[in-house]
Amino acid sequence: MAVETMKFPGQPGSDPDLDMCHALLAQQRRERLIRTTKIGVVWVILIIILTILLLQFNFSPAYVYQHYGFVLAGLPLTIGISLASILAATVLALLGAVSKLSNNSIAQGIAGLYVSLVRGTPLLVQIFIIYNGLPQIGTALIAKGMPQIGHLFILTAIQSGILALSLNYGAYMTEIFRAGIQSISGGQREAAESIGMNRVQILRRVILPQAVRVIIPDIANQFIAMQKDSALVSFMGIWEMTYRANRFARQDSKFMEMFVIAALLYWLLTIVSSWFEGLLEKRMRHAYER
Amino acid sequence: MSDNAIIRVENLHKWFGLLHVLKGVSFSVVPKEVLVIIGRSGSGKSTLLRCLNFLEEPSSGTIDIAGQSLTITAGTRYDHNQAIAMRLNTGMVFQDFNLFPHMTALDNVIEGLVTVKKMPKDKAIPMGMKYLQKVGLEEKSFEHPIRLSGGQKQRVAIARALAMEPKVMLFDEPTSALDPELIGEVLDVMKQLAFEGTTMIIVTHEMGFACDVADRILFVDRGIIAESGTPDQLFDHPQDERTRLFLEPIRKVQQI
Repeated sequence: MAVETMKFPGQPGSDPDLDMCHALLAQQRRERLIRTTKIGVVWVILIIILTILLLQFNFSPAYVYQHYGFVLAGLPLTIGISLASILAATVLALLGAVSKLSNNSIAQGIAGLYVSLVRGTPLLVQIFIIYNGLPQIGTALIAKGMPQIGHLFILTAIQSGILALSLNYGAYMTEIFRAGIQSISGGQREAAESIGMNRVQILRRVILPQAVRVIIPDIANQFIAMQKDSALVSFMGIWEMTYRANRFARQDSKFMEMFVIAALLYWLLTIVSSWFEGLLEKRMRHAYER
Repeated sequence: MSDNAIIRVENLHKWFGLLHVLKGVSFSVVPKEVLVIIGRSGSGKSTLLRCLNFLEEPSSGTIDIAGQSLTITAGTRYDHNQAIAMRLNTGMVFQDFNLFPHMTALDNVIEGLVTVKKMPKDKAIPMGMKYLQKVGLEEKSFEHPIRLSGGQKQRVAIARALAMEPKVMLFDEPTSALDPELIGEVLDVMKQLAFEGTTMIIVTHEMGFACDVADRILFVDRGIIAESGTPDQLFDHPQDERTRLFLEPIRKVQQI
């Protein structure tokens, strides 16, 4: 990484040693460019082959052209649900990890059960329990004369989707946060203790800033995975991309066309997200570069 | 021992599981004294130092620092808040520096002032600069630790501990992780502190430095203080057989 960003003083020709170094660096750069280009060519060829194959089997590009806008209209909802869920999941994960690492038996017990229960059940089942199951409790409570509490259990489809995704990802991310916090050396904690910081101060000022940098790639990875898992909320009739694709797919029996549109849009979303993650990582690297 | 002691340790024991690391250690330190603790690896000298600011929880014994006293009885819980309050009387310098890598040198130094002492940043910054200047690193104030040499890191760590204005400075092998050519700059800072009358307890393997700077040396062997005295007494006329065996090879090297 550092080699190609190095700047050398002097003009070419002023120093034979420097010229040798320039030549070596240029050679490295050339080889890297050739390799990247070759990989790109392989991608393009593979995509062309897949497209040609697709077109052999009664695939209608005109239908795709007509309906991609309808699926695209679901993109903001997909992004919105994923963003809201990843934020809530991050908060849950932080609480979960801190609880798991605390000395408090109650906190440890709650966090342990939460992670075990959620990781041990499928996301789709969780969605059904929250969207279809909880209202049973809600209506029972309303019948018993507690309408305020009862209505809390009856969630809209979007609320249910965000809650399910947050709870689910929060559990997996609890383990990511826990590992991140534990990856910070004990010496950091001791140094903070030695200047009189308390547990909360140590976590907030010393451990978390370092841990977050370590786990940013994992969080981004979870976010990217969540964007695709958000397709599961279409089961509740939320008009996000998968639901919209499914609608015309069934109506016109154009499954391949509609779901290829959805697939390409999800893919695009992932590519853009990865790019953002790269930017974020670059920004956080500053303090660690010589 | 004199009555004006700033640190008094009585019958300190430390167990790590089944390992009895400190077997009843007692000593005291008077203000402005420089006490150097020497001994073999694993003798318990670092553990002893770390018990003084409760980075290790003592198993039993009494620790009295600057008028605050805590007696710990084995097998019973003790007041951790009291221990944490007593911690502010001591400043610690670690073997591995343990600077906060995500903060600049200046931010490292003022972290305790701002977070623990709740000092406003505009007051803490001049104070931080004062201590960076003291260790000769004011021009590195905005550098992150990764861009500092080992010796510079350790000097920032000393400034960070000094900034909290502790009554006693504790040094746990402060030069053991340094390349030989970087040891001098750290020892010079410590000599300057000793000269200014800072009370210090230093665990070190730098015998020449110990001789120069120590008012008194403790030789710790297998969890007890085998011998204590002035550098001259210990190095030239050791009374204890274990002290003699430990120091003899070192003296031979120095004579060459």
